[in-house]
Amino acid sequence: MDAILNSLQLAFPDDEFEPRHVPFDETFITLPANHLHAAVEILVAQFDLHHLSTITGQDTGDAIELLYHFWRGKGLTLRTALPYASLSIATVTDVIVGAAFYEREIMEMLGVTFEGHPEPKPLFLPDDWAGGEPLRKTFVPLAEPESPGKEPVE
Amino acid sequence: MRELLTDLWALLVFPGFAFLFTSALAFEWLDRRVIARLQGRVGPPWYQPLADFIKLMAKEDLLPTDANRLAAAVLPLVSLAAVLTAGLYVPVAGNAAASFEGDLIVVLFLLSLPALAYFLAGWISVGVYSVIGGNRSLLQYFSYEVPFLMALTGPAIFSGSWSIAGIVSQQAQTTWTLFVQPLGFLLALVGLIGKLKRDPLDIPKAKSEVIAGPLTEFSGRKLALWHLAMDMQSVVGIFLLLNTFLGGYSLGFELPAAAAFALKALALLGLLSAASVLYARLRIDQLANLGWRVLVPLALLQLVFAIW
Amino acid sequence: MTRMTIPIGPQHPLLKEPLSFLLSVEGERVVDSAMRIGYVHRGIERLCQQRTYIQNIHLLERVCGICSHIHTTTYCQGVEMLLGLEVPLRGLYLRTLLCELERIHSHLLWLGVLTKNIGFDTIFMYAWRDREIVLDIMEDLSGGRVSHAVNLIGGVRIDIDERQVAETGPQLYDLARQVQKLLGVIENEQTFKVRTQKVGFIPPEHVRSYCMVGPVARASGTDVDLRRDAPYAVYDRLDFNVVTHQDGDVWARTLVRMQECVESLRMCHQILDELPAGPTSVRAPRKVPAGEVVSRCEAPRGEVIYYIRSDGTERPARVKVRTPTLTSLMALHEQLRDVNIADVSVVLSGVDLCIACADR
Repeated sequence: MDAILNSLQLAFPDDEFEPRHVPFDETFITLPANHLHAAVEILVAQFDLHHLSTITGQDTGDAIELLYHFWRGKGLTLRTALPYASLSIATVTDVIVGAAFYEREIMEMLGVTFEGHPEPKPLFLPDDWAGGEPLRKTFVPLAEPESPGKEPVE
Repeated sequence: MRELLTDLWALLVFPGFAFLFTSALAFEWLDRRVIARLQGRVGPPWYQPLADFIKLMAKEDLLPTDANRLAAAVLPLVSLAAVLTAGLYVPVAGNAAASFEGDLIVVLFLLSLPALAYFLAGWISVGVYSVIGGNRSLLQYFSYEVPFLMALTGPAIFSGSWSIAGIVSQQAQTTWTLFVQPLGFLLALVGLIGKLKRDPLDIPKAKSEVIAGPLTEFSGRKLALWHLAMDMQSVVGIFLLLNTFLGGYSLGFELPAAAAFALKALALLGLLSAASVLYARLRIDQLANLGWRVLVPLALLQLVFAIW
Repeated sequence: MTRMTIPIGPQHPLLKEPLSFLLSVEGERVVDSAMRIGYVHRGIERLCQQRTYIQNIHLLERVCGICSHIHTTTYCQGVEMLLGLEVPLRGLYLRTLLCELERIHSHLLWLGVLTKNIGFDTIFMYAWRDREIVLDIMEDLSGGRVSHAVNLIGGVRIDIDERQVAETGPQLYDLARQVQKLLGVIENEQTFKVRTQKVGFIPPEHVRSYCMVGPVARASGTDVDLRRDAPYAVYDRLDFNVVTHQDGDVWARTLVRMQECVESLRMCHQILDELPAGPTSVRAPRKVPAGEVVSRCEAPRGEVIYYIRSDGTERPARVKVRTPTLTSLMALHEQLRDVNIADVSVVLSGVDLCIACADR
């Protein structure tokens, strides 16, 4: 883990990673959004850390945070924050094909754009969904549809 | 007058429609029951096939808009008629409604008609599953029919007669064809399973692949008639194999002809049920391979032996 | 040759859960496929944020209909970690026992689905009949056959007495005998092998690039199992082997899953023998201190990961669930290229899809 941190530090000398230990053997480091793709490339190419468990997206109230959870024996999570003004980040599907669905999920649930994603389509939500991004803090759940009652069906 | 009455009796009651109808339902029930017991289930009550038939007859009859209505109505009737006619020539415990030299060939021809009707049923009902199922049934037909026909020429050559009644009486004097041509019997059995589209050769109607194959779009009376035709086909098929390979109603020791015949029919049905329990379904290309690379050469070998 | 488009799902005899495929076929060959999921999306992640930690246990149990226990296990151990709770050993043992019983139940259920789809109804009936033994044990332990509601934050709700230990042992031996019989069929039955060997092949590179997990990865020669690599609950105290296979086809996956059942049965015996005395749970406070946790478990289908963030209230700020099926779904279009229509059912059942899990 230290070796990974060192070479990431070498690649991005200006960044403060603030490595933090999170329970169950997980190390969290923070990266600016524009360095994330390069960092993922380093992880896969140099350290063979190819297992991306998932990408968590969350609305913290200040920004949209993305957490890339990697795993090989121990966990490593890359954390990056996107300001509401520019919700866009480069896709990692060109390095890890298996990130496709996680990115699509964040696209529809939080409204983040992944530049260069091969198939930017909804995954879970209906094709005609127009209710906004369900995992945003500002999301207002749709009102319950009025029950049709027990009137006879034509 | 009396002659007319006997003919009507033979056509409508025994061994004609009523008898075939009853035994079709009975065989279906026994088959389902045996399979269920072998799989550790209970199985349906005896009236289940009849109840299914009545229920289907009463159900609404729907077809897709693009389907050919006339053909959809005629095809189940054609296959039912073909199977019934074939049933008239196959002796039941020695009683056939009609018989002449060469009726074996007529029966074989009539028994292959439902397969063609089945294919057409898929084609005219336009659904994707129906069309694919129809294509598969045709491919399956070409795979099993050739070895089946070759296997059934064996008994004819053995007994020197092309009439089923002749084959039966010849066997009564010598021995069962089964003992002379065990390979032929095996091939005929595989062919019969393919013809009846039973497990493990239910490829054209494999549920997890093509829903119900050519019959996907059928419902109501037409579906009931299709099922009836299939069930009757299995009765006629079993009787045919019984007469040609198992010596008809004759048994080694004294037993009434009807009892001996019934006993053998049940044994053969049990064999078919066991086969459907024991194996997984093949893929259509695997069946075609099996048919042409294994069954046909074996059938040829068998034929050479029979003539020699 | 003309192209046809065959719809598979959302309602289809092949799939017990809603999932839609549009297959482009030429004759009997599938040339392309388009997938659509989300028919059972229930917004569980959003719902979690609106409920308390304790209510969420019951909500998350309903992520999946088959592996319900593993979801609450992953969630509860994450929240316990946030709270700094020390779960009594007996509680952990019972939690693990249920996990392993659930694995057996899930694998046997899957074997039934696979064999049903290749027209081998007999094994389907046998597998599901034998599965009843596990269900009976689970019902006796927890009162529920599939949804057990066993996990609490801080331990488990149930306890097991002398009679139950004495009765469960012989039942497990019965089951082990049945599993051996099923293994015999899988290894020797020709028609089964013809239908499953060289079908749905997943090369190790795909396991790697699609981040695949669980028995699917293990059947392609990737030796990964969280129970051994990152032990949780009491797995570090148990003796078991991780089953792998090199072939990477559906047959290999069948073998891996069935041999895992054998291993799981061994583990159940060990748990019953070594079960320490003591309480099964500790009391947990309602409010959870601020913090975050990443919790991983090995579900019957592979790695389940939960990310839980607390902001110091009694409701979580975020619960992220990733189920193993999602990884298998991503790789399906690779497997569905250039196969026979008849093999589609084998490919789809071969990876053990749980759509409700994937949709959440």
